[in-house]
Amino acid sequence: MPRSAGHFTIWPAMKFSLAVYSAPHSTQSAASALRFAKALLSEGHEIYRIFFYCDGIQNGNSIAAPPQDEADLTGEWQDLQRQYNLDLVICIAAAQRRGVLSQREAERQEKLSANLAEGFELAGLGQLTDAVANSERLVTFGG
Amino acid sequence: MTLHLVSKSPFSSSALRDCLQSFAEGDALLLIEDGVYALRHDALQTLQNSAVYCLEADAAARGQRELAAIVSGIKMIDDAGWVKLCTQHNPIVSWFR
Repeated sequence: MPRSAGHFTIWPAMKFSLAVYSAPHSTQSAASALRFAKALLSEGHEIYRIFFYCDGIQNGNSIAAPPQDEADLTGEWQDLQRQYNLDLVICIAAAQRRGVLSQREAERQEKLSANLAEGFELAGLGQLTDAVANSERLVTFGG
Repeated sequence: MTLHLVSKSPFSSSALRDCLQSFAEGDALLLIEDGVYALRHDALQTLQNSAVYCLEADAAARGQRELAAIVSGIKMIDDAGWVKLCTQHNPIVSWFR
């Protein structure tokens, strides 16, 4: 509940998690997720985890090279991760299927190269369940 | 009370229609992305007594800001307002199919 401090009301900080289901270049929703994450942090809330699932795993693809006059969401996620030490988790099964691999996974799968962007981690779907259990709010970005 | 986020146009997706089917008294609706085109759709009239919000930046990006200002009952909000709505509602359900 809010508490009153004289003439204005203070809303307590909350713990949020985000689920991102869309690739950076397909629809607006990954950009909306980034914008919402920035708004959350600037309003003083905590982000417990951002979980990238389905095509959303493309947000952590370090070899995507969008034109310079277009948004570079991967780079912006990385900047935000460094600034706030965010937990950016990519679903490992979704990522393997679409070709986003960490060094370790690339070696394990005998692939030529790794392309998981720095600041992102591969983990299982259990990390989304854990995020739901440990956050006060989950906001989903898909489409 | 649920906050419903609709991000697809009602002219090309069933997102708004599906949302309205599970919309309960006390719920709120926030139109984002192409969801702001709902301002031009009759379906919104069924929510005349409910809290309906529209993300101003997404409406402006689609040339719908002036329309949002004259559709009665629609409240324009910025990103900080979106965050605040999320703190006031639980769960937050996204409709994007």
